[in-house]
Amino acid sequence: MRVFIAFLTAVFVALPATYAVEDKYEFDSPQQRESFLQLTAELRCPMCQNQNIADSDAMIAHDMRRKVYSLLKQGKSEQEVIDYMKARYGDFVHYKPPVTLATLWLWLGPVFFIVVALIVVIRRRSVTPPEDMAAKLAKADAMLEQEKE
Amino acid sequence: MKKAPLVAIPLVLFLLLVVFLFKGLFSDPRELDSQVKDKTLPSFSLPDLMKPDITYTPDDFKGKVTILNVWGVWCVTCAVEMPFLTELKNEENVHIVGLYFDQDLDPDFGTKTLTRVQQEVIEMLGRYGNPYAFNIFDVYRDTSLDLGVTGAPEHFVIDADGIIRMHHIGDINERVWNNKIGPLYKALVAEAMSGEVNQISTKGTM
Repeated sequence: MRVFIAFLTAVFVALPATYAVEDKYEFDSPQQRESFLQLTAELRCPMCQNQNIADSDAMIAHDMRRKVYSLLKQGKSEQEVIDYMKARYGDFVHYKPPVTLATLWLWLGPVFFIVVALIVVIRRRSVTPPEDMAAKLAKADAMLEQEKE
Repeated sequence: MKKAPLVAIPLVLFLLLVVFLFKGLFSDPRELDSQVKDKTLPSFSLPDLMKPDITYTPDDFKGKVTILNVWGVWCVTCAVEMPFLTELKNEENVHIVGLYFDQDLDPDFGTKTLTRVQQEVIEMLGRYGNPYAFNIFDVYRDTSLDLGVTGAPEHFVIDADGIIRMHHIGDINERVWNNKIGPLYKALVAEAMSGEVNQISTKGTM
C-alpha cells in the first residue's frame, strides 16, 4: 500500500513536469507570449481544415507555430505575422476573413435578413380595418344586446 | 392569387440550398488558392540530399521544365505514386526534382542524423523506383513553408524560366497526369523548345 501511495505521489509530482515540456517556447515579455497565443489561436491549419494551429498536431502546424515564434522574436508585429502567413497560404489561413466581393455576403446576409424581417413585421401591423367596420360593430353590439335579454 | 409568391419563397430557398450543398459534394476542401502560382520560386539555398556539398538555388531550375515533388519517406501516398513517377521519367523523359523534408527531424532538437535519413531514402527509392533527377533537402522546412506546402505529396510545375505554373496538392496518378498536369507539362516543354529555337534563330540573324 505504501508503495502504491508513493507511486501515485510520484505520478502526480511528475505530471506538471511533462506538461512543462510542451511549453518549449520562451518569450521576451508577457506581451509577446500573449501575441503568440493570440496568433496561434487565430491562424488556421491549412492541413487539418477546421483547427487552429495551436490546436493541431499536424507537422505543418508545428512548423507554423515555430515560424510565428521566430517572427515574433525578430520583433515583427502581429499584423506582420498574419501577412506573412497570408502571403504563403492565402486568406484561408486567417480565421478573420477580409471583406471582399466573395465574402461580402457574410456581412450583408444578416443585415438583409433583419431588413426583410422588419418589413414583414411592419406590414403585418398596419392591416387596414375594413370600411364597413362601424356597421359591423353596430351589428355585433345589437347581437350582444339580444343575448342579454 | 397574391399568395403564390410567398409560398414560393421557402421552395426557392430550399432549391438554392440544394444547389449549394450539391456543389459542396464535388469540391475539394484541401484545394487552396495557391499564392505562389505565376511567381518565381522563393529564394533558397539548400543542400543536395545525397551529396550535401552541392547547394541548389532557384537558378538551378532555369532552362528546363521541372516538376518539383515535395515528399518524404514517412509519406504513404508518396510511396504509392513513386512507381508512376518513375515510369514518367523513364518513358516520357519527365524532369522530376524532389524537395525532401523529414518529419522526425525537429529543427530545434534534431533527432535523426543525415546518414540515417539518406539510408531510409536509398531504401525507399530502391523499393519503388527513383524518379528524381536530384533531391533537395529542405532541412528546416522553411522553403516548404514559403511555397505554401501543407503536407506531402505536393507538386509544383515550374517552367523553363523558373516560374511556378501549377501547384498540385495530392499525388500524381494516371488520371491526374492525363487530365491536369501532363497537358500543361507538355505545353510548357513545347514552349521552351520553341523559345530555344527562336533564340538560336535570332542569334543566327545577328
